Amino acid sequence: MLRQVVPGLVLLAGLLAGAFALHDTPGYGAQASLSLLIGVALGVVFQRGRFCFFCILRDWIEFRNSTGLYAILVALAVGGIGYALVFGAFLPNPLAGRLPPDAHIGPVSLVLVAAGAAFGVGMALSGACISGHLYRLGEGYSRAPFALFGALMGFGAGFFTWQSVYLSQIFYAPTAWLPATLGYGGALALHLAVLAALALLLLRWLPEQPARPGGRITLAGLYRTVLQERWPPLVSGAIVGVLGMVAYFRVEPLGVTSQLGSVARTTLDNAGLLADRLNGLDTLAGCATQVIQTITDNGWLIGGMVAGSLAVVLLAGRFQLSALTLRGGFTALLGGVFMGWGSMLALGCTVGTLLSGMSAFAVSGWVFGAAVIAGVWLGLRLRLHRLD
Amino acid sequence: MLRIKRAVFVLLLLVSAGVLGAGVLSAENVAVEEVLVSADWLEARLDDPSVRVIEVSVIPGVYERGHIPGALNFVWHTDFVDTVRRDIVSAERFEELARAAGINEDTTVILYGDNNNWFAAWGAWIFNLYGHEDVRLLDGGRVKWEADGRALSTSAESYAAGNFTANDIRPELRVRLADVLSVVDGENVGTLIDIRSPAEYNGEIFAPEGVQELAVRAGHIPGAVNVPWGQNVREDGTFKSIDELKALYGGLGIDGSQPIITYCRIGERAALTWFVLNQLLGYDVALYDGSWTEWGNTVGVPVDNPAGTVWGGR
Repeated sequence: MLRQVVPGLVLLAGLLAGAFALHDTPGYGAQASLSLLIGVALGVVFQRGRFCFFCILRDWIEFRNSTGLYAILVALAVGGIGYALVFGAFLPNPLAGRLPPDAHIGPVSLVLVAAGAAFGVGMALSGACISGHLYRLGEGYSRAPFALFGALMGFGAGFFTWQSVYLSQIFYAPTAWLPATLGYGGALALHLAVLAALALLLLRWLPEQPARPGGRITLAGLYRTVLQERWPPLVSGAIVGVLGMVAYFRVEPLGVTSQLGSVARTTLDNAGLLADRLNGLDTLAGCATQVIQTITDNGWLIGGMVAGSLAVVLLAGRFQLSALTLRGGFTALLGGVFMGWGSMLALGCTVGTLLSGMSAFAVSGWVFGAAVIAGVWLGLRLRLHRLD
Repeated sequence: MLRIKRAVFVLLLLVSAGVLGAGVLSAENVAVEEVLVSADWLEARLDDPSVRVIEVSVIPGVYERGHIPGALNFVWHTDFVDTVRRDIVSAERFEELARAAGINEDTTVILYGDNNNWFAAWGAWIFNLYGHEDVRLLDGGRVKWEADGRALSTSAESYAAGNFTANDIRPELRVRLADVLSVVDGENVGTLIDIRSPAEYNGEIFAPEGVQELAVRAGHIPGAVNVPWGQNVREDGTFKSIDELKALYGGLGIDGSQPIITYCRIGERAALTWFVLNQLLGYDVALYDGSWTEWGNTVGVPVDNPAGTVWGGR
């Protein structure tokens, strides 16, 4: 037990020291430091709340258990309130035809639907979405590195698709943003009403809750509740919602594919395989990719996620490398390719486009979310998740 | 007795020289303060309704996540330009924009931004061009303000509409291709200053790294002197002293005795050197906002390309 707890404590201390040092490193500064800390927090919450989009959807579709979905609904509700607050300061008048800076409001097109569906199929095939693989990497999930490498390849493929569909499909697609027509109050009211309706609909799949014993809170009990038992969905969802708002307010909207996509783009660019300019790509909001020489803020964020998850798993004494089969590795890689391709064309994944997009009242977030659910449903029907 | 008289005389002489000297010194400081203010100066006047602070940053989202309290945001690629044809913003639109920012005829407009005030200086040029009397830059811009640890705010500001009126463009501040050509051809006197990097000036590259090549010829306008913009500022982003700037340009034979034209790649950064030479040193300077992306694409104009780089191939 101590063999894991001590390294866990050392890792946490190291992450804090790292954030401290980053703050004063020329070229990085407060944004990088904060990104690392937000990443660590996200890794901890995702791991402790089992905030894995695929696991949550699978529980619902296959096992008729909607518990996890409430975490997503709460994250979207809290995130929506937070975004409305921040938007009010960033762009006081939403009706004037401008969009708030950086927010993940993307074009709504058939490409987005295809990307979401492919992403969902990739989730089923590889066993998790991209953020899921990142935090599960910290748990010792041995398929995760294959899926993430596959995502890099999928990203590369996505760039080529982008060039061929941009003018015909994306350029004239509407970038629909609810506050532009409803105002912030109207958009938030609609957002919360839809989430409440979904929460009511999902009640019938909520299993009977176990009775909670009373009594005093002991240290051992606290350790078990915080570090070993799954956090209640309302708690983890609310924290994810707050983190989304904090990230948007101080750095950029939450997303986990920007650094990965940039690595793919830089690699292709260095090899001379990519056109110098990807039509329109750099003018659209989302998990932006660029040709890079350094670790971006997003890189610190996803690094923090993996490390934060690992730290909290070690503190619980639960780190264990999962067994890996050849088939499991291959399907993870293939699923990763689907997810990379999808998140490149959708300008983000279940975090960047779904969570940050819906919280920002972007229609693209809802369309992508629906397509992802359809993709996961298809993947489960085809029993792709049993191929490992 | 005589010795005392002499001593009093010398004393008087010394005192008057001191007063005179101090007067000259502060006169220069006041003159500088009319176009360039320090962070201390601005911080003391943040609540002054006759002062309006405007941020013009290159990176989107910077203003929103924290700006100088009370400052408004002008976007360089939509607010200061015509977004359809290549030109500066029209008088009507600019007037509308300035009035919405609560700017009156007598408002002191303070501009600042990221990237060494590049686009804030471009904004100052536009304000001057349309005849606003009192436009100043914040020395050191956003970077210095942050480095000093001064307060930032995220609250959105709004002000009652002002009565600013855009005048006809002041022709002495802006030149077009034909004007530059007349200098190159020797019909008019003038000094051209190219503020781009030496590699661009020499024609080794068409654009800085990571920036699209928007000109099909490399090099510079014949006769132009290369003074990269960075030579105007110190490491902390503040402008060099008047004496240092005079020495820098004087050493290159640029002393204000001839009209000056500054240019860069797309026309904005050259506003910084325009600001230094025109606003700080008081020379006769115009900005050629067509810059290299116009000149280097124009058929038939003379080009000096020392490196001999050929566009579109080896």
